Amino acid sequence: MPQLEILLPGIVFMPFAAGALALWLWRFAGKHTGILMVLAAAGSFLGCLQLATASVPVSFVREWIPGLTVALSLRGDPFGLYFALLISGIGTLVGIYALGYMPPLAPRRLGQFYAALLAFMGAMLGVALSDDLILLFVFWEATSVTSFILIGFWYEQEEARKGAWTALQVTALGGMVMLAGFILVGLTCGTYSLQQLTHSRELQARLAESSAFAPALLLILAGALTKSAQWPFHFWLPRAMVAPTPVSTYLHAATMVKAGIFLLGRMLPLFSAAWLWTGVLVPIGLATFLLGAYQAMTATDLKAILAHSTVSTLGLFTAIYGLASPEQDALGIFAHATYKGALFLIAGIVEHATHTRDIRQLGGLRQRMPMTFAVAVVAALSMAGVYPTLGFHAKEAFYESLLHGPALAGSHWQAAVIALSVAANALIFAAAARFVAGVFLGKPSEHAGHAHEASPILWGPPALLAGLALVMGLLAPTTEQMVNALSSHPGAKLHVALTPAVAGPLLLSMATAGLGILFFWGRGGLDALRQWRPAWLSTEWLWDAAMAGVVTGATAFSSRWQSGSLRWYLSGTLMFTVGLSGVALWHGGLSLRDVAVRFEEMQWYGVALCAMLTASAVMVVRSRTRIGATLALTANGFLTSALFVVYRSPDILLTQILIESVSTIFILLVLYFMPPFRVDGFSVMRKAFHVAVSLAVGLCIFTFIMLSTSPTLRETHNLAADYLTRSLADAGGANAVNVIIVDFRAIDTNAEITVLMVVGLLVYGLLRSRRRSP
Amino acid sequence: MTGDTPILRTVARFAVPLTAWVSIIIFLQGHNLPGGGFIAGVMAAGAGAMYLLAFGVAKASRVPWWKVSVVGLLISVLTGAGALVAGRSYMDHDIWHFYLPVIGEYELPTATFFDLGVYLIVLGTLMTIFVEMAQEEGR
Repeated sequence: MPQLEILLPGIVFMPFAAGALALWLWRFAGKHTGILMVLAAAGSFLGCLQLATASVPVSFVREWIPGLTVALSLRGDPFGLYFALLISGIGTLVGIYALGYMPPLAPRRLGQFYAALLAFMGAMLGVALSDDLILLFVFWEATSVTSFILIGFWYEQEEARKGAWTALQVTALGGMVMLAGFILVGLTCGTYSLQQLTHSRELQARLAESSAFAPALLLILAGALTKSAQWPFHFWLPRAMVAPTPVSTYLHAATMVKAGIFLLGRMLPLFSAAWLWTGVLVPIGLATFLLGAYQAMTATDLKAILAHSTVSTLGLFTAIYGLASPEQDALGIFAHATYKGALFLIAGIVEHATHTRDIRQLGGLRQRMPMTFAVAVVAALSMAGVYPTLGFHAKEAFYESLLHGPALAGSHWQAAVIALSVAANALIFAAAARFVAGVFLGKPSEHAGHAHEASPILWGPPALLAGLALVMGLLAPTTEQMVNALSSHPGAKLHVALTPAVAGPLLLSMATAGLGILFFWGRGGLDALRQWRPAWLSTEWLWDAAMAGVVTGATAFSSRWQSGSLRWYLSGTLMFTVGLSGVALWHGGLSLRDVAVRFEEMQWYGVALCAMLTASAVMVVRSRTRIGATLALTANGFLTSALFVVYRSPDILLTQILIESVSTIFILLVLYFMPPFRVDGFSVMRKAFHVAVSLAVGLCIFTFIMLSTSPTLRETHNLAADYLTRSLADAGGANAVNVIIVDFRAIDTNAEITVLMVVGLLVYGLLRSRRRSP
Repeated sequence: MTGDTPILRTVARFAVPLTAWVSIIIFLQGHNLPGGGFIAGVMAAGAGAMYLLAFGVAKASRVPWWKVSVVGLLISVLTGAGALVAGRSYMDHDIWHFYLPVIGEYELPTATFFDLGVYLIVLGTLMTIFVEMAQEEGR
């Protein structure tokens, strides 16, 4: 089906094209530029629907970097399409919401906002639909970069810049680490195609037996866990709440933070058999689950409450994948995306109406905003996991897998895991109750004074999401069919029903609700617990300290290393060259003893020239003025060219004479501007260092020249003969030196002349600007 | 740096065109005999420096030297990219054979164009630096 195949790149790249268009369209469309987002997202959604109804998964494969077996390959398998549907569907709703939400800014800035949002959506769709791991990485990092732009949208505020920066540091670094893991997998298995990797038992066995297995697993997990804000990398998500609310909803509830979870789902067939997989993911997942739920319960900012509870739920998903019970992933992700998306949008509406997000200053909005209140109640019920919402089914499925799933059955960890999960879920229950009670119930606060119901464009999208959470919960058989078809686990047989078949999960749900109510009542105590914890006891603090350390270290290093002293730089360059050449000589097995030295061939003029060369070199060093040193140096250069006359090499002679002349002119031109010529007052250490460098360089050059006549060198590495024979035949030139420069090694020359030109332009620019601004 | 020495000026009147001429010869013969774009460029810059010392910065800076080096880089890169158009790899040179009326058969390696770029970059860069440094002193 070629028409369907072309839909895949269309879905992924069309948002990017629309983003580029948005950068230009704001001139004409102004604040209506956002319609582009709605159209692009809806278009992608329809495309994904079309692909989802295809009988077999559609693939789009084109060559990209064949030498490295990297391909531009996209694939519409059920789990990927499910994710893409979620991204584009919620993208449409967020686009509509943003039209009503974004304040009247300069149209240019709105254009940039929508361009970034569109590019983000394209990158996310790319992550969902990539079949090639390297392509997936590219899109993965693109989401990090675009989310950096989106989080830092209010860049006038320091908080926004800091939040965006932290998010980029954590997620982009995690992505790099993940790339290393991908490469290990690719090198071991010989392919980067996810489809091949997950379907071939042979490749999986090869990976499992190789020594790269554990490193690859840990590296890839690092990428997934940073992206999905798992402990100890969870702190970037609450900080990213400085973003405009549509961004928070889209990136930090519905899509980007789920990319890590999505990757875990993708990697499950490759790695889940290893104990390391469970051993890493379950503790981290459960710790994040509990910690996030607790922080959600104690946070005061509406968006922070939601952010922490998101972190918590992502921890739950991590644990589910860690337990290798992926059948429920589609249900869980769907439930979370609907209620959390709705609640974020409601937080935006409330902030819009009351100009605050602090839950302590809110209250009593029930009567003034009835529609928002109703939507919030439904979404919160799903969050709390109350019958018969989607959240309820998700929680039941989770408890069911804990009680009867293969991973924990009979394990002595089972009781502990269940207890932890019930506690965390109860905290989430309490947080949901607190959200509704704090904002809508109680007495109207002073902030509620001017509050009025938002326009349908604002409450419409969350209402749709909350409605989905309720309706899909009620239509249990349809939901069951859907989540089983879309799960990352091909033959998923999850049971979703309005009348629970077994009592265990239901009892746990009741315990959760009971405990949740207790937590809600005792929320003052939880708050006290938060006050007690010292500031440095958080990974957030450690991360900030580490980042500050990097900056301090880099500054200290560069101010020491880049001292501005020409002598120091020259010494460094020379020592490096000498060291490298020395290693090469030592490695090459050449020996000075092989060289036959015949002094009688020198003749009297050779001896005389050498004596004059030595004398001029001594004069350079002994000279007390700069001009004296310059003249001695020039004399030395011309004497060297006399040497080339004697030994008959006209090519080098010509070069030597010209270079000598031009550099003398050059030195004379700059002489006037040089600082005073320092000849005295060097410390003994400094002098010893200079002498050592000079000796090393001299010795190295001497050895090189001597060895170039060594028979061993001539016999073994005779590149010269090769060049000389090929020069005329292949390149049509008898002058091998020039042929090497312009033909054999033309790309090197190309780089060199580019550097030369850039140096010229720099001199031009620097001197001109200095002259213009005295 | 003013050019008020009559001796230098008189010499330069002959020496500058002569050096420039030799530099062109050296450039052209470079593929087979000692010479080539780099060294010919240095020689041309030597002629330029002599001109600058004899006749002053004002006259020497009438040529936008940095643009000369940019043009040089363009020529080099385009020569290399020409091979791409022909479906071969970057910087893959060819030898062109011509039949000229009087001279007879003549062969021209495309590397010569690349070399021309090198020549112009060396000349342009060195002269840029010379002229800018010389102007610096006039302050």
